[in-house]
Amino acid sequence: MRHVEEVMGTVVSIELADDLPAPRLRELIDATCAWLHEVDARFSTYKPDSEVCRFRDGALRLQDCSDDLRFVLDRCADLWRDTDGYFDAYAGGPLDPSGYVKGWSVEVASRRLAEAGSLRHHIGAGGDIRMRGAGPGGRPWRVGVRHPWEADKLAWVLAVTDGAVATSGTYERGAHVWNPVAGRPASGLRSVTVTGPDLAVADAYATAALAMGEPGLSWLAARVAEGYESAAVTDDGRAFTSPGLPIA
Amino acid sequence: MRRSTAAALGTLTGAALILGVRLSVQPAAVPVAAAANGAAAEEPEIDEAGADATAPPAGKKPAGGKKTTAPAAPAGGKTAEAEEAGLKAGTYKGKAVQNPYGTVQVTIKISGGKISSANATAPTDGFSGTINPKAVEKLNASALKAQSADVDAVSGATFTSQSYSQSLQAALDKAGA
Repeated sequence: MRHVEEVMGTVVSIELADDLPAPRLRELIDATCAWLHEVDARFSTYKPDSEVCRFRDGALRLQDCSDDLRFVLDRCADLWRDTDGYFDAYAGGPLDPSGYVKGWSVEVASRRLAEAGSLRHHIGAGGDIRMRGAGPGGRPWRVGVRHPWEADKLAWVLAVTDGAVATSGTYERGAHVWNPVAGRPASGLRSVTVTGPDLAVADAYATAALAMGEPGLSWLAARVAEGYESAAVTDDGRAFTSPGLPIA
Repeated sequence: MRRSTAAALGTLTGAALILGVRLSVQPAAVPVAAAANGAAAEEPEIDEAGADATAPPAGKKPAGGKKTTAPAAPAGGKTAEAEEAGLKAGTYKGKAVQNPYGTVQVTIKISGGKISSANATAPTDGFSGTINPKAVEKLNASALKAQSADVDAVSGATFTSQSYSQSLQAALDKAGA
């Protein structure tokens, strides 16, 4: 069963491949959407009464924040360190953990689905996808990586059973990719795709490498040891993939 | 004396391996026309602009040096400055040398018969200047392909609710609905 939900400023595509009765699948999808809307309400930087905004504005003290927000803040700090400062929840000035929240909320959604009996599904939030179990027909899920210049074409097709695929790129209109270390817009890389066990981490790594520019290629090569494979395209159209990238 | 000056020019290529080196060589008392010396194996390339920019030092005599060889006029109508110290004025570029961090080229400037400046440059444009090939060796370089294929989902830069409708993912959702 497939479902499309508009939430968190983007569109989330959900597909459950489990052999469960349709009403049960519907319930699971509804519960997933309810969670994503809850995250939107609590973590949106566009809603002045969200927990993130109240903390950012000083109306909420850190010790009074929810465990979820404190976890998100901790992880943002970890990733800031792990990416040499290129993943920065404060890149735009005031706190904006959205770059972590999206992937994290999908990770949580997938885990909750698994706990509720859906062991084969994928959730894609605005181009970042978490797969669990086998896809339709028992084969791995097939994930296309959008071609960075031709919107209707794919640059790679990946085969993923359990894991995440996240892409950051400078081609999407309205996407502002900032190099927080140099204090200027990122340049050098057109698109970075990262695969690995955790969607929030994959997303943060893709964003960080894109912000680094071409030196991000070397940085990505070093992430393979952590279980994160990658595919990147430079501004002048050269393509780089890590040896373990699960190309279908 | 002769040998050391010749060696100084000969090391242009070798010195190119050193990134960011700044020499301060003062062979003021070396009255040798190195170009006429066969020991300078690498024929240095003379930069026209550099040669023009160099003016003979006014009233400066080499201390204790004696003029041995008047340098022959350079080919190609370069300003033939019979430098009192013997080294032809101009800017000389060493051979571009590849090292793990990119292409490095050493340039020295001769004026007043002396090496007045030397530096090594690493071009920052292009592949070699910005990527550490050793690290990138771990990645496979390939030609970017554009393909159409049957997939379950599409990963791409985050689209907004508005731009979703133009995305491949939207087409896929429509087809699978």
